[in-house]
Amino acid sequence: MTGARRFGTGVLGVGVLLGVLELVGRTGAAGDTWPPLSSVLSYGAGEPGRVILARATRATVAEAATGLLAGVLAGVAAAGLGLVVPWLRAGMSQLAVLLSTVPLIALGPVLVTTVGNERTPPVIAALGAGFAVFVAMSSAFSAPRTSLDDVFEVLGASRASTLARLRAPAAVPAFFDGLALAAPAALLGAVVGEWFGAPRGIGVLLVSSMQNFAVVQLWAAALCVSLVSLAAYGTLTGVRRASVRRFT
Amino acid sequence: MSGAVVDNGRPSRGTDAGHAAVELRGVVKEFPLSRRREPLRALDGVDLTIAHGEFVALLGPSGCGKSTVLRMIAGLEAPTAGSVEVAGGAPAALIERHRLGVAFQDAALLPWATAWDNVALPFRLAGRPVPEERVRALLETVGLEGFARARPKQLSGGMRQRISIARAMALEPDVLLLDEPFGALDAVTRRRLNLELGAVWARLRTTTVLVTHDVAEAVQLADRVVVMTGRPGALAHVEPVSAPRPRGEDFTRGHAFHEVVDRLVALLDDPSDGRR
Repeated sequence: MTGARRFGTGVLGVGVLLGVLELVGRTGAAGDTWPPLSSVLSYGAGEPGRVILARATRATVAEAATGLLAGVLAGVAAAGLGLVVPWLRAGMSQLAVLLSTVPLIALGPVLVTTVGNERTPPVIAALGAGFAVFVAMSSAFSAPRTSLDDVFEVLGASRASTLARLRAPAAVPAFFDGLALAAPAALLGAVVGEWFGAPRGIGVLLVSSMQNFAVVQLWAAALCVSLVSLAAYGTLTGVRRASVRRFT
Repeated sequence: MSGAVVDNGRPSRGTDAGHAAVELRGVVKEFPLSRRREPLRALDGVDLTIAHGEFVALLGPSGCGKSTVLRMIAGLEAPTAGSVEVAGGAPAALIERHRLGVAFQDAALLPWATAWDNVALPFRLAGRPVPEERVRALLETVGLEGFARARPKQLSGGMRQRISIARAMALEPDVLLLDEPFGALDAVTRRRLNLELGAVWARLRTTTVLVTHDVAEAVQLADRVVVMTGRPGALAHVEPVSAPRPRGEDFTRGHAFHEVVDRLVALLDDPSDGRR
């Protein structure tokens, strides 16, 4: 009952927000750069908007996915290395924090000259995603000792089997925690990366829409990438919740 | 409770029959507090010899160092001075051969694994194939044969503790270490589990060290009750309990049982009287 009511309130809230968006656009209260929502949607649904958006989204999602995969692998590997070789841990955390504090915007031109403009979006995506996963995993790996560690030690478990049978399964919820943050970060990283002259993608569409004053297309592109990001976050939060049920 | 698990009624002695099962000599344990302060002396010269097949209960108030003694026998802590030998060698040697079993106050089960997999864990950690028949028999021994596929959070605290005990016994260890295994359970469940543990133990006769602050539990289960006093921990009194096994409810209701319990409670209340 309360669940249904909460859901109803949520739907009502979103509805009010969308209505305000539409109203501001219709009346032109915020100027020319705020189009009514309905025209943004109808641009996205019709030709050629649908084709343009689909192509750009596909490109961005592909770059983000590549970056996410690379970042997740690197983040898990780095956190795992810190677990196996404890004296590396402090240095790696500092390096990760340092990398994450460098503004992505500042990194872009450097990357374009080193890895090329085609590979810049996935690399920036990987940096953002890798940091999220690394932080989540290393905090899971450095959780304080419990009596389960004592049991493993008394039973004569090797380091490898302690890792495989205790540390790794215990870190699964934290992994999905990190992944739920990493996926939107990867998407954002890919879009930012595309600003530096990638051949296609949402970022490119945003830049060209801005320069050509294609306001409706600009909004449609932003809406598109937001929806993909929300969907990824929502899905992964669900997976994380299921993993908490399964692994704790 | 089936007899299928325990056809060897005698304790497993291994090759080192000449040694005591557990031997502590002049054991001192200090924990560093900070650089400026004196270290905390948790144990001050503990001597204790436990024979093969003996059940010894370490009884004392919290903070008397009884768990520290158990953790040293388990190889989880090293003594500051003195020596701890298990089966004639360092605890680490026994751990390496997977000959030690342990159960803690919190059951310490893998939350993602079923009851069956938790009992099978010692075999897997020892790198041995899991003998299905044996795991099933262990679950049956602790009365959980119908819960093999259940995960710990689906079970009650008492059931989790039963799994923990079954896991401790899985590899037929040379020494079984129990650190207040039923300490977090309600009085009724605790009493029932103690009766069951006593019955299982009467058949297995594994060398066992039980740490507890419950006097009745210690007297009911142990061959010898070692009373410890606190800060720094030392042995205050050793009470042999020679009642025959299995000790059922007739034993715990008897006059002799209550006489011993009352005496030990009095000793814990004013330990200086019992110091030798």
